[in-house]
Amino acid sequence: MKKLLGLGLAGAVAFAGLATGASAQQKTLDTVKARGTVNCGVAPGTPGFSNPDDKGNWTGLDVDFCRAVAAAIFDDPTKVSFKPLTAKERFTALQSGEVDMLSRVTTWTLSRDSAMGLAFAGVMYYDGQGLMVPTKLGVKSAKELNGASVCVATGTTTELNLADYFRSNNMTYKPVVFEKAEELNAAYEAGRCDVYTTDASGLYAQRLRFKDPSAHIVLPEIISKEPLGPVVRQGDFQWFTLVKWTYFALLNGEELGITQANVADMAKSTNPEVKRFVGAEGEFGKGLGLTQDWAVRIIKGVGNYAEIYERNVGPNTPLKIARGINNLWNKGGLQYAPPIR
Amino acid sequence: METALRATGTEPRSSRHGTAVELVDVHKWYGEFHVLKNINLSVAEGEKIVICGPSGSGKSTLIRCINRLEEHQKGRIVVQGTELTSDLRNIDKIRADVGMVFQSFNLFPHLTVLDNLCLAPTWVKKMPRAEAEKTAMHYLTRVRIPEQALKYPGQLSGGQQQRVAIARSLCMTPRIMLFDEPTSALDPEMIKEVLDVMIELAQSGMTMLCVTHEMGFARSVADRIIFMDRGEIVEQGPPSTFFNNPREERTRTFLSQILNH
Amino acid sequence: MALADETRVPGAPRNSALDWLYRREGRQIIGQVLIVIILGAFLWMVVSNTIYNLQKQNIASGFGFWDNTAGFDISQTLIPYSATSSYGHAFWVGLLNTLLVSVIGIVFATIVGFSVGIARLSNNWLVARLATVYVEVARNVPLLLQLFVWYFAVLKNLPGPRDSIQLPGGSVLNVRGLSLPAPVPQSGAGMVLVAAIVGMVAMIALNVWATRRQRETGQPFGRLLPSLALLLGLPILAAALMGFPFTFDYPVLRGFNFQGGIVVLPEFIALLLGLVFYTGAFIAEIVRSGIQGVSRGQKEAARALGLTSGQMLKLVVIPQAMRIIIPPLTSNYLNLTKNSSLGVAIAYPDLVSVFSGTVLNQTGQAIEVISVTMLVYLTLSLSTSAFMNWFNSRMKLVER
Repeated sequence: MKKLLGLGLAGAVAFAGLATGASAQQKTLDTVKARGTVNCGVAPGTPGFSNPDDKGNWTGLDVDFCRAVAAAIFDDPTKVSFKPLTAKERFTALQSGEVDMLSRVTTWTLSRDSAMGLAFAGVMYYDGQGLMVPTKLGVKSAKELNGASVCVATGTTTELNLADYFRSNNMTYKPVVFEKAEELNAAYEAGRCDVYTTDASGLYAQRLRFKDPSAHIVLPEIISKEPLGPVVRQGDFQWFTLVKWTYFALLNGEELGITQANVADMAKSTNPEVKRFVGAEGEFGKGLGLTQDWAVRIIKGVGNYAEIYERNVGPNTPLKIARGINNLWNKGGLQYAPPIR
Repeated sequence: METALRATGTEPRSSRHGTAVELVDVHKWYGEFHVLKNINLSVAEGEKIVICGPSGSGKSTLIRCINRLEEHQKGRIVVQGTELTSDLRNIDKIRADVGMVFQSFNLFPHLTVLDNLCLAPTWVKKMPRAEAEKTAMHYLTRVRIPEQALKYPGQLSGGQQQRVAIARSLCMTPRIMLFDEPTSALDPEMIKEVLDVMIELAQSGMTMLCVTHEMGFARSVADRIIFMDRGEIVEQGPPSTFFNNPREERTRTFLSQILNH
Repeated sequence: MALADETRVPGAPRNSALDWLYRREGRQIIGQVLIVIILGAFLWMVVSNTIYNLQKQNIASGFGFWDNTAGFDISQTLIPYSATSSYGHAFWVGLLNTLLVSVIGIVFATIVGFSVGIARLSNNWLVARLATVYVEVARNVPLLLQLFVWYFAVLKNLPGPRDSIQLPGGSVLNVRGLSLPAPVPQSGAGMVLVAAIVGMVAMIALNVWATRRQRETGQPFGRLLPSLALLLGLPILAAALMGFPFTFDYPVLRGFNFQGGIVVLPEFIALLLGLVFYTGAFIAEIVRSGIQGVSRGQKEAARALGLTSGQMLKLVVIPQAMRIIIPPLTSNYLNLTKNSSLGVAIAYPDLVSVFSGTVLNQTGQAIEVISVTMLVYLTLSLSTSAFMNWFNSRMKLVER
């Protein structure tokens, strides 16, 4: 009953949003400026990416990206209103204008670009789907999982990758599909499934929540490509560009060695790249609908990409995920930003 | 104790016919409220008794104890030689022998008149349906409404319903009939048709205990009239003595209220 | 409106068209036409606006997705389904799963509800008190919470597949569910099916006959044993004659799980238990109030006639109580059906989980998917109501 109500509500919201067209026709940036906060859709509880503490303070990689956007607009990274959304709710919430952007471990795919009216503004985190099993099963490889029961979250690419992987390897499996991570975890811990699958980063994060994390191992196979990034609606190019270049600013900041600590001194730099970055040269902010020092505001507010990464998921955090493919292009990774010029 | 002596003392026909109902020293309480006090009453077979008294005097409770719609807490009640105890077999046996007619008819509204009459004979006496229907039509004819057999109770007038209720009880061929204010819920023009049926029943020799305020009926039918007040039997006697020469002050007050109305 | 008629000046020139405006019927027609026009305009505006916006935002619309490959698996499928089936196929799988748990749930909730409702009125102090405690607990704890309790109680108490509980007849119980041997028909199995149908028909005929005999002769007829003999005996006899034309597909532990057989999922069991005991408590209250709604006089009359308390309940009280019970009972059946959508929380693959969960997310077509889902629940609700209205009018007819 409650569920149906929620369903009806989601439908009504989608319908109302799309019917009135408030979302599409107004410029998102103007709406955000008038409102004074960015409405940012985040995952309800994924350690390292977006996780509220008991006081309601959000932390995580995705959360910091929301703050970076707010910093660019308002010069204040706290001007964000976080909207926790389940995988099932997220697109409807974005399409209908309930949030201005999603920054919640969402995979960039063709159909999401082409048929769902979504625009991915970049890849904050290159991920891949992994599989976790209890250590006591003695399984060493995903290829040994024929006939296994698999716990998976509904409404995710994970659900499809799982089917593809088992099908292509001529194996069968039994899906057990949950809506929320809490029940998924509890069912897996109670032995309902042999396998827990989600993005590898998520597996590491969830494993931390188990009573005995060492009783579970993440299998070496990564069975899919999961580029996770911020998403906006199609049809508002200005907003899309702003979000995209916020992401690029984080990367360029790292590449240029501009950090939260030294950003103030960088204004005196003679390096032309840095000068363009801090707004001492050129008029780049204007084109984005922002001020000259937009990139400085971002770094001042949340730090560069490396700082965000290390703070939330890096080797010194409980998640202990190495930079790997998320390193900058010139350090052997995939993260690459076009120049500010 | 005095009333007890008087009750048995003024019993003229018990020796001749055998006793239908015997109540000895019966008490009943509703919580703190002492609703029946020291009731002693012996009813002979074939005897017609009218019980009257102000409302709340315990007269309905008294007859409802006889087929155990109410439980008494002290004393003995013997019906047709069987004592009413908590033994369920005795209760079933007695209920099969005792018919009851209620103030509010209590016909089963979801069944036709005929089904109302056949229900108990087929289920309790395991009588074949054909025979039960024959009996039912016999009694419906006796109460003068055989043509209503296929209607539902809701389609009948109050008087007709009460006559059906009497026929329903008679279908179980009871040896004792209890009437709990059978005409109180009726419009005045319907009272007579019900009383006529009761008078006819009385003439057939049925043992009857009637709680009623119909003093005309009491005068012409009753062998004995019992006056109750505040849970006690205050006075009893044949109609002539009772109406013309009541002994107790309370009886006189009651009679003056009811007759000069 | 009526005032308009009276305030017209007598003898004023009558214009027939204007005159019509001042009549009540005229006003009503005008009012209704206006409402239709406004409603129509509003709907047109909403729909055209929505289509425009969907196109503008580059969101696909229409039901083109219906035949596309779904690409995901479902844990419980009553019809053949695989990841290569279409979204439309997934819709039917979800719908059938919803219907399965709803229908079975309604049957058991009714049984539980009537038993507990009658038990609450029992003279046995302990029975009545236990029934009261159950009703109060079940009604006042949110269903979602009860589902979690049942689900995790089921999961926590069952062993893993390798320590499964072996049940007689080759059935196996473990945390992955209850695996039953599945009969595989061989040649001659058709005869057994025919015998089963004949047995069922014969059993119904026997019961009709026994009821009539009871009515006609007053002789009760022990119908339980002969009924069972017809229902079970006949097919067993036929099977014996045909040389037991079935082999059984026994569940066998292979790798991680038991393979083969029919599997009853723990999610299904938990959802069914939750729905049955939650709705059962409401039905119990309805039954209790229905029985209490039958006047005391009716019960006294039945007792005065010598009916036993069982006969009284069956012949006098319940038939009358039904008229009070049926309308709220209907709404509880509807609630159960709608509440089954909470199964999504405990991984039961019902319509909401499969269709407006996974399918919606894979296609992103919220308006189409939600509309279809709402239409389904509306249809289910309306048809249940229609059936119960028909049943109610039949019960009513008996009285007048």
